[in-house]
Amino acid sequence: MTDNVYSTICPGCNFGCGLYIRENGALEVDFRKSSPANSGKLCRFGMNLPKLFAPTKSMVDGKETTIEEAAKEAAKRIAASKGSVVFLSLGNTTSEELLAFQKIAESALYTGAVAALPEDTYQTLNIGIPYSEIEAAKHIVLFIDPYEQYPLIVRRLLSARNKGAKISAVWWKDLPLADENIRPGDVSKLALTKDSLIIADYNPLSDTEQVKNVLALAKNAGTRITFLKPFANSTGGYLMAKGIKQKSISQLVEDINKGTIKILFCLESDPSVLIPSETLSKLTYLIIQTGQTLSTKANIVIAHEPLYKKKGTLINNEGRAQALGGTGTSGLDALGIIAGAKFDFDSLHESVKKAIGITVVDEFMMPKYERLEYGALQASAKPMDAKTALVSVYNPFMWSGLADDNDFVELNLNTVKALKLLKGGSIRIKSNGSTIEKKFKVAPVQDNILLTSNKFGIEKGIITPVEVSR
Amino acid sequence: MQKGEMYVGWSTKEDVRKRGGSGGLVTSMLAAALEKKLVDAVVVLKKINEFEAVPIITSDVNEVLNSAGSLHSVPSHFAKLIANRDLKIALPAKGCDVRGIIEQGKRNAINLDNTFIVGLNCGGSMHPAVTREMLEVMYKIKPEDVHGEEIEKGKLIFETKDGKEHAITIDELEEKGYGRRESCRYCTIKVPNNSDIACGNWGVTGDLVGKATFVEINSEKGVKLLQNAIDAGYVQVQKPDEKAVAIRVRIKGVMEDLGKKWKNKIFVPIDNRLEYFRKELEHCIDCGACKTVCPTCSCGDVSKCTEYHSRSDAYRMSMYHLVRFLHLADACIGCGQCSDVCPVDIPLTRLYRRFANPVQEQLKYEPGMDMRKPPYFEVKLNE
Repeated sequence: MTDNVYSTICPGCNFGCGLYIRENGALEVDFRKSSPANSGKLCRFGMNLPKLFAPTKSMVDGKETTIEEAAKEAAKRIAASKGSVVFLSLGNTTSEELLAFQKIAESALYTGAVAALPEDTYQTLNIGIPYSEIEAAKHIVLFIDPYEQYPLIVRRLLSARNKGAKISAVWWKDLPLADENIRPGDVSKLALTKDSLIIADYNPLSDTEQVKNVLALAKNAGTRITFLKPFANSTGGYLMAKGIKQKSISQLVEDINKGTIKILFCLESDPSVLIPSETLSKLTYLIIQTGQTLSTKANIVIAHEPLYKKKGTLINNEGRAQALGGTGTSGLDALGIIAGAKFDFDSLHESVKKAIGITVVDEFMMPKYERLEYGALQASAKPMDAKTALVSVYNPFMWSGLADDNDFVELNLNTVKALKLLKGGSIRIKSNGSTIEKKFKVAPVQDNILLTSNKFGIEKGIITPVEVSR
Repeated sequence: MQKGEMYVGWSTKEDVRKRGGSGGLVTSMLAAALEKKLVDAVVVLKKINEFEAVPIITSDVNEVLNSAGSLHSVPSHFAKLIANRDLKIALPAKGCDVRGIIEQGKRNAINLDNTFIVGLNCGGSMHPAVTREMLEVMYKIKPEDVHGEEIEKGKLIFETKDGKEHAITIDELEEKGYGRRESCRYCTIKVPNNSDIACGNWGVTGDLVGKATFVEINSEKGVKLLQNAIDAGYVQVQKPDEKAVAIRVRIKGVMEDLGKKWKNKIFVPIDNRLEYFRKELEHCIDCGACKTVCPTCSCGDVSKCTEYHSRSDAYRMSMYHLVRFLHLADACIGCGQCSDVCPVDIPLTRLYRRFANPVQEQLKYEPGMDMRKPPYFEVKLNE
């Protein structure tokens, strides 16, 4: 008897947090204190990883089968529907698998890119600034809630503040670590200099105009800007697919609704997080290849080993290449069955290293990336016109469809008083004919804003106009 | 051989002597325990590099013989690792490991009769991320070039691959914020006599320096461990002379006094205590890592601190932390694991010790040092 312990990277976001997964009957998380991204520290999602890695079974039309049979059946159905199949990966798997995936997907690849952004912004959007540079910044401007969305950035921000940095937050709620809290509608009050560093979020649901707006702010002030991203290998997904034409999630939804797309093949990506269920129900077949718990019902599930057992390379927000400590390649083998060809891990691995200009994957060595300039941007972010809105703050639990202890909304005391809400009671939230009742938590949130890190089923994007009552 | 005796010993296996520290006695004693079926499994550190090793439970003698020995930059803790496993097990243990194991024993999560604890002298451990930065900033050497490390006469010495040694005093390193973890600085359990057998290099003298381990037998299980290793031909021992014993006592005393000085330096009285605790905890993200890693917590999923807590609460200080402060007042062993794993760098151990120091001093109770029940378990009602 010897423990199976895997050195791995948390798939909760693209921060690149190192950890160990210990197989001890049940799965256990152990702290990998030498990991350069997180010094072994994990957020609430990281601590809950054993739930995410609950075993999944290969299925065809509701019947359990082997991974090979599931992949063969998927290949058969894909071949019969050529031209109406779309391949989706948000970057929750290894760079090697993503390279193989592209060979299958050809021109019908969707990786969650935001539509209508100029190509010269892609490098800035996708390759971030090293965390050590954030810690050394003099003025940091947050367009995120670091505690909720990317918790491991908090200690870097506190470290910067201890060294004298000023922190400004452009957010819906006051953040304890910020010296200055500015509401999103008052962003014109923000004073930027060349010493400032903006931290924003870039994800498949990002509002294009908001992204343009923050890019324009940085461009006009000559300020550095870095985007944090939600999937384990978001940066690798961009680097591996560089130069390949992709479409956005909104276009994908449109194509499915029009009926031009019949089959959706998802690689380590849960489509229900991004695509409305009424749209997914219009597909003839939904095929999901995955190694983790699914919250979506698919026609075919190709279940391979979980990420922690895989062999391969992830690239984090900073552009740091990190090796997974497993030996599994069954995901790659399944993709080979779909493609009708065998994928060789070693040659794909060489291509990955070549794509990022390194000869060896060493997590302590930062590859060199060009910081490309982007042109002037015309942003036309519309001011929020709703009197009251529910704002969804996407965090790792939401992106992965994993349950969290968050069945409540945050609102401020003015809202509580105006609605005469009762302590320990609930608030009624109405949107598009649906009404829900939720517990509330009083927090220093903007007037008439409700914040949530949960999906209640009434949302229409990130900001949902709502009516509220006691 | 009996409880209370002291020896100096070494491994009879040349390769273990070469690879292991201080003559490889601990490694060989653990391997012998496994081979002669004194235990079912052994805990060892599997070395990844100079700054990383992962603890594993193994029944493979070769895994034990090839294990890392002790590394100052691997501040792991073994109590939770072996809890609820129902194994007859032997393991190396720093003072804080031993204390955690004993506390888990009191809470019925570890069967102490089946647990053979090999205590290791410990002057403190270092966080690997801090060590890497320290090498670059203070020593001006690349972490990748480090080949080995040791502590000698108050200096932390790194050997690089080119054979050179680089030494800086621990005092100087700690003045600059490097060196040992904060909890190690004020720890006063330097020789774990609460273990079954306490081992280390303090007290090894003359030609044996670096080639042998000093051993103190603290229990009948300690006798069994050492006698088993000798009978199996894995270990040789001899009696230490009086001078060696005196040196060991002196070093232990100096280290314990240093720990007490640090304790006074760190725990200066604070004003406005509520605001102090509230400010320190304001960045908490409710990850629960401090509870998961705590070696004196054995509650599992259903626990007081989580049952009374909800993320929807808007209290200025969460019920989770308030309940943990109370729980740990008589249970905290000051191991530093909670501070190590806190994702927002809250100095949790320092906060828990703010409650634990006065309570444990007044109750004259040191958790993890013996089988005495936590005083708050033994409430006496007025008759």
